[in-house]
Amino acid sequence: MTPTAAAGAMRMRVPRLALGPIMVLVAWQGLAVAVPGDFLVAGPWEVAGHLWQNAGLYFRALQTTLAAAATGFLIGNLLAVALAALALLLPRAEALIAGLALLVFCLPLVATGPILRVLYGPGTGPQVTLAALAVYYTTFVPVLVGLRATPAAWLDLVRSYGRGRFAMLWHIRARAALPYLVAGLQIAAPAAFLGAMVGEFTGAERGMGILTLQAMRGLDTEATWTLATVAAAVSIAAHGGIGWLARHALSEPPPVLLAPPQTGSGPGLWSGLRGILVVGVVAIALWWALLQIAGLNPFFAKGPGDVWAFLVSGPGADENRATLLAALAETTGALGPGYFAGMAMGAALAVVVTLAPALSAVVMPVAIALRAVPIVTTVPLLVLVVGRGPVGSAALVAVMVFFPTLVACLYGLQRAPGQVLDVMASYGAGRGKALLYARLPAMLPAFFAAARMAVPAAVLAVTVVEWLATGRGLGALMAVSASLSDYGTLWSATVLTAVLAALVYGIVARIERRVLAVFASEQAQ
Amino acid sequence: MPADPRIAPDIVCKGLAKRFGDVVAVDPLDVTFRGGQTTALVGPSGCGKSTLLRLVAGLERPDAGSIRIGDDTPDAVRAQAGLAIAFQDPSLLPWRTARGNVALAQRLAGQRVDAAAIDAMLDLVGLDGFFDARPGALSGGMRQRAAIARCLITQPRLLLLDEPFGAVDELTRRKLSEDLPPIWQARGTTTLLVTHSVTEAVLLSQRVLVFSPRPARIVADIAIDLPDPRPGQETTPAFIDLAEQVSAALIGGEGPSPRRLAAQ
Ligand SMILES: Nc1ncnc2c1ncn2[C@@H]1O[C@H](COP(=O)(O)OP(=O)(O)O)[C@@H](O)[C@H]1O
Ligand SMILES: [Mg+2]
Repeated sequence: MTPTAAAGAMRMRVPRLALGPIMVLVAWQGLAVAVPGDFLVAGPWEVAGHLWQNAGLYFRALQTTLAAAATGFLIGNLLAVALAALALLLPRAEALIAGLALLVFCLPLVATGPILRVLYGPGTGPQVTLAALAVYYTTFVPVLVGLRATPAAWLDLVRSYGRGRFAMLWHIRARAALPYLVAGLQIAAPAAFLGAMVGEFTGAERGMGILTLQAMRGLDTEATWTLATVAAAVSIAAHGGIGWLARHALSEPPPVLLAPPQTGSGPGLWSGLRGILVVGVVAIALWWALLQIAGLNPFFAKGPGDVWAFLVSGPGADENRATLLAALAETTGALGPGYFAGMAMGAALAVVVTLAPALSAVVMPVAIALRAVPIVTTVPLLVLVVGRGPVGSAALVAVMVFFPTLVACLYGLQRAPGQVLDVMASYGAGRGKALLYARLPAMLPAFFAAARMAVPAAVLAVTVVEWLATGRGLGALMAVSASLSDYGTLWSATVLTAVLAALVYGIVARIERRVLAVFASEQAQ
Repeated sequence: MPADPRIAPDIVCKGLAKRFGDVVAVDPLDVTFRGGQTTALVGPSGCGKSTLLRLVAGLERPDAGSIRIGDDTPDAVRAQAGLAIAFQDPSLLPWRTARGNVALAQRLAGQRVDAAAIDAMLDLVGLDGFFDARPGALSGGMRQRAAIARCLITQPRLLLLDEPFGAVDELTRRKLSEDLPPIWQARGTTTLLVTHSVTEAVLLSQRVLVFSPRPARIVADIAIDLPDPRPGQETTPAFIDLAEQVSAALIGGEGPSPRRLAAQ
């Protein structure tokens, strides 16, 4: 920040913080008044009234979901920290650990939910597990980066007293990684809430997820908007609360941007393929071993061999493949456009906002807050507004991708080195030129970091919306096969989705590393 | 202070070599550092002084040759917390206070954390009133003071100082090199001091080794037999003569200077 900008921010602080929410409320109320009829939009006033009248109902539901989300949040993040420490202490196994963690994270909640429901039976098991599954990876990645982002001199200090890796981990790395952990926890808070709600979709007794299903079936506009508002408020509060705690407990702010974790595999295509192969083999072995150990009913629990037979060698494999591929095509048809549109709009708005700094002061806090909203909880809203067609899925994916991209890009654009900007100004370069030559290159790493993390998020969004609303694609296929106890289809679709998502993630990460090497060599290591 | 060879053993390097890829950081080097003495290492930057120090500390593995500190290897000395190293960058942990940073050294060394000793040490290096300040709130000079306190608190037998006053302005540097060295000199700790400053080398050591550009060879080995205390002697003919010998060797670089030969 330049000195003037800093001074401006100081002056703007109080009104700016209030300005964002007020603008959102005003726009929302305006929308409610402008849109005719009561079927689409319930304004803040109506939502407040509805909430007041049903306070007890919402309070109990929120309590249930929050309890499951908090438990999953705790378990998932502990697991993430343990995994990151393990990857650090076993550098040779790191690529494998990271690969397996990614693959499991890419398992679509839509499918793991029903499977877990069968395993656990009634109760909060699936909610808690899904919440944990929804958070652990987004904590694992920053914590691993943080554990390793330690100046060599600090580690030399430990070594100079004859101490080894454990002392480094305990005295240096663990504390140095705290800001990174906070960054992970901030993302994890809304994700855990979302995971718990998806768990409730699979057939819980109560909770916000159940109310959401009811509101959607009944096309209850007020309830729908109220649920989305409550979910948003809770998520924003958790995100902000963790940030507030961190600011008071830590001397350094949590990082906004993260380079992708350095996997053990080298830059070459060949070593990348070898890494994928190793992860694949180990994943299949683990999958097989787990089923053997658990001794589950083979009708329900399908192993690697069953899925192979279902898709390739068994009777009707051709038909099965055709069904899956058709669903995949439908999903991709919604996912691709939504993903790219969301990324493009996020980046474009970030650029526009940067060209008008006054706007940025207002947009940034709102975008940060809205980034925390578990977008999937707004599926019923989407159904109300866009309907149940494929456009709805694409729109939801776009919204899911849009806010994180906007925040990351705004951050990247502001990070253009002040000196470079000063040099350009000294040549009389205008805002446009400064944007083209200094700010856009600075934005690219942020853009790709967002693009990478958006892949699993987009898959989650599209499958949930297909399941709950549109009835097409892989999401619907998984939901239907789960309710029909067609476990061959369910497991095959799950594996296919996870593998594809992990591969796309890996490809984006690879592009990202190339971009980092050029535009942010200090981050690429 | 008499150098007891059991407490302050010599450091003997034989055929020591280290390369990083194609860069030869230390060419086969034979050198002995006397126990209980301060030896100053001067030479053009990039010639391998830091690498030599890190080899002695056991932080790098030599490609060839050996280092003995008395009968011990560097690793053994490290494991007994027998050495301490200070870098040009004070490398304090930003989340620990001055006290906490010094205490960490005791903890890492496997010693009891002695609050009274820590406070006394911080007092000694001139950090009175800043015991509970974090590095972010300290000036560059104060950070170096804290780093030196951290080095000394564990009572090391061997002190390795890599341009410890390198990262501060000239005025602070002079103040630091007046205040801090007497603390470790009083203990008779074997000290290797890498420095860019010829004056500092002559002021603080009993012996100056001058290195040529990479791959480094020792081009001059100059005994500094000035009486203590040194500060205040900078303008005496004896001091100036020694300083000129060091400078000439540094500039001559490639070969032994006539002055060095005369000095021997
Ligand atoms: N970890 C390392 N990796 C690669 N090259 C190194 C490393 N450490 C030092 N070097 C190289 O070795 C040479 C000697 O470095 P150094 O010992 O730091 O010199 P000095 O301390 O005398 O300035 C330099 O050319 C430096 O670039
Ligand atoms: Mg050096």
